Amino acid sequence: MTTELNRRRLLTAGASIAGAVTMAPLLSACGGGAHQKTGANTASGLKAALPAYLPSTALKPDIPSVAGGPDAATDPGFASYPASPVATVSGPPGRGGSYTAVTPLWGTVPQPGNSFYQAMDNALGVNLTIKPADGNNYNTIVPTMTAARKLPDWVNLPAWWNPNFNTGELAGTQLADLTPHLSGDNIKKYPNLAALPTGAWQAGVWGDKLYGIPCFATGFPAPGAIFHRRDVLESRGITADQVKSAEDLMNLGRELTDAKRGVWAFEDVWTYFFTSFGAPRKWKVDGGKLVHLFETQEFLEALDWHYRLATSGYMHPDALAGDTNSSTRFYAGKSLITGDGTGAWTLADYQSGIAADPKYRRGAFNSFAADGRSKPVLYMGAPSSMISYLNASLKPDQIEELLAVANYLAAPYGSAEYTLVNFGVEGTHYNRVNGVPTFTDEGKKDVQVTTYNFLASSPAVISNPGGDVVTKDYSAWQAANVRTLAKPPFWAMNYSMPQELAAAEAAQAVNDTIIDCYHGKKKVSDVQAAVSTWKSGQGDRLKRWMTENVLDKYGTGQ
Amino acid sequence: MSTARSGRRAAPARLNWRIRLRRDRSLLLMTVPAVVLLLVFNYAPLFGLMTAFQDYDPLVGVWHSDWVGLDQFRQLFGDPLFWESMKNTLYLSFVQLILFFPVPIALALLLNSVLSERTRNVIQSVLYLPHFFSWVLAITVFQQMLGGAGVLNQLLRTHGAGTWDVMTDPHTFALLVTSQAVWKEAGWGIIVFLAALSAINNELYEAAAADGAGRLRRMWHVTLPGLRGVIVLLLVLRLGNALSVGFEQFLIQRVAVGHDASDVLDTFSFYYGIATGNYSYGAAAGLFKSVVSLLLIWGANRLAHAFGEDGLYRR
Repeated sequence: MTTELNRRRLLTAGASIAGAVTMAPLLSACGGGAHQKTGANTASGLKAALPAYLPSTALKPDIPSVAGGPDAATDPGFASYPASPVATVSGPPGRGGSYTAVTPLWGTVPQPGNSFYQAMDNALGVNLTIKPADGNNYNTIVPTMTAARKLPDWVNLPAWWNPNFNTGELAGTQLADLTPHLSGDNIKKYPNLAALPTGAWQAGVWGDKLYGIPCFATGFPAPGAIFHRRDVLESRGITADQVKSAEDLMNLGRELTDAKRGVWAFEDVWTYFFTSFGAPRKWKVDGGKLVHLFETQEFLEALDWHYRLATSGYMHPDALAGDTNSSTRFYAGKSLITGDGTGAWTLADYQSGIAADPKYRRGAFNSFAADGRSKPVLYMGAPSSMISYLNASLKPDQIEELLAVANYLAAPYGSAEYTLVNFGVEGTHYNRVNGVPTFTDEGKKDVQVTTYNFLASSPAVISNPGGDVVTKDYSAWQAANVRTLAKPPFWAMNYSMPQELAAAEAAQAVNDTIIDCYHGKKKVSDVQAAVSTWKSGQGDRLKRWMTENVLDKYGTGQ
Repeated sequence: MSTARSGRRAAPARLNWRIRLRRDRSLLLMTVPAVVLLLVFNYAPLFGLMTAFQDYDPLVGVWHSDWVGLDQFRQLFGDPLFWESMKNTLYLSFVQLILFFPVPIALALLLNSVLSERTRNVIQSVLYLPHFFSWVLAITVFQQMLGGAGVLNQLLRTHGAGTWDVMTDPHTFALLVTSQAVWKEAGWGIIVFLAALSAINNELYEAAAADGAGRLRRMWHVTLPGLRGVIVLLLVLRLGNALSVGFEQFLIQRVAVGHDASDVLDTFSFYYGIATGNYSYGAAAGLFKSVVSLLLIWGANRLAHAFGEDGLYRR
């Protein structure tokens, strides 16, 4: 049960907000004055705001964490779920306060006041009303609350929507400053929160003060990987480590494609492969100056390779037609190599896979440089992208009560608290089947969707009870790649930019042309043309703003 | 529209409005829900149009966002992508007018000539059905049949013939979306024509037949003139909507054929306005579209009146 979210899937789902725009101004007609803060952090200020890190020793993992570079480590792996979970918190953390919380939910909203919520309220000692809001429209729902200054007591603000929420501006005006409660050794009052890695806390620091509580914190924030059907490759005597360069990968595509049988080698891989050509994810610093991805030679080389791939006939035609249902084709063996977030490597994936093909086994290529010679680099993403915040209008003792609740919710994997938060009450929401907690129908309805864990959760672990091969394979892949993890410039740095520049950063026109290029409809030169239009209009202004307001003032955060 | 017409006929002399109010009380009450819906979902949001003249920031709200005058429009008119989507919209609208518009009329005439009621009901149901499919489903069906890995191309491939992926070909995209629209909506479109057909007085057919008119002559001199009012009305509405060719259909297939073949004004507002948080820009594009549409519908209505037809309303 790896709990990392697949951000790409969430974003795809988030694209269905048609028609919301004309109502938005109406709902947010009242608000404060217009002025913009970047909310970025100084090195010393950040250090002072961050809590101490005291890893949990409650449960010994079967596959221990392997450390990589700074802030990088593999998620610990657990082969089985503990038979008798131990408690890490004594007694209910709350003192009977009443609070509301809003979290995004991608799925069916559980009934209010259901038996799981009641059990949680009893265990937490508070009256916490969870109000899940539609995840697909979350980026338009929250602004209506902030514009009316009606945020709930506790709210999750997914980090990739910070530009939409203007979180840097909300911090301190509508979101509570947690620095006095959590910075440095203050966090020792909340041992389970103290076990969250430091990098993850960084995502909740704005303007040198700590505001956010990170959920699903991981030391292995790889954006994703190039996956393959390990069972199919191995049946042909191919192992993943034979692929050492982009040309190898292309040749493998030729070998695997059999269009007459309806099998094509590739789905989309661009998003997780272009950095292998030495291109930065977004920015790099060259001789003290900022260089954008679009300006680099490596970006063009990556495009060229992907254009060749698209026109080679090794890509599934439905992928070229933009059909996002790639996992169905992958399970059915109609496509064999696909790019995806690491969140794809789960028990649920394994179960869907073996339902379609009993031999199904997901594998991932180790990160390699396209030229086959350079040092491979896997740029780290945010160590936590689901951050929860408390309302600024709460009194200090209310904040402490909710932090104690957060401490309960963040209990480590396999503890009694973790079991309740993730599986509910035994006999009602889950039963042990061969030792594996398995949801009952009631549990599927009320517990399986993520609610409390978007307020606080234990650090990510790799655990797939009932699918040991997944835990083994994924842990091995993380261990093999942890040394290639590297921080890109501005990693885990918070800053918010004016709306107009946020649009420049989104570079919709260029990104559209890039998609057309890696689907073989536009040439690399067309992308170059789109880039030069973007640069002269918005790109240069974006770079100037980034240089003056972030790079010159705060550095790259490394 | 027919109720509006009969209502007009019923009130030839000017009555006191109180008397008319009392007389039409129940009718007016029945329109209240529709009027409320219209006010809430079509008129109230007009308020948001002012963001087109602002640099709108949802966090500070409409009242506190900076006014930028016509800046958004200046930027819009200088944006090649905007003109590209304008061109696509007009072109698609034209193709649909030529290839889609006559289909429901022809189908209605054909259906009308089927005598067995049973057969007619079956055909009608089959034709209506795709209307209730979502665009996602409709396009998936097309992809499964005509896509690069679809039934047709797999058949060609196994027989060693060349393949043609019509689903990702930007050059034939207009024909593709029009055929999708015909498959999905043409059947539904016949309803209004069938209604008009049933309103044609049967005595006219009998008289024409008695005078020796054959099938074609009866269609030309009785059926088509009977449909003329409806055809003109729908044509006026279609022209007024020339800048709205659909949204989901293009949103879903955008990646398949590339943005410069598939972007229409509505998807332009979405991708370059809403999706990137550039709300004001999207609002400006939307406002421009509405103004042009208003002019188009006004012009088309004038034209209809000039030809002696009713258009949207009787002059």
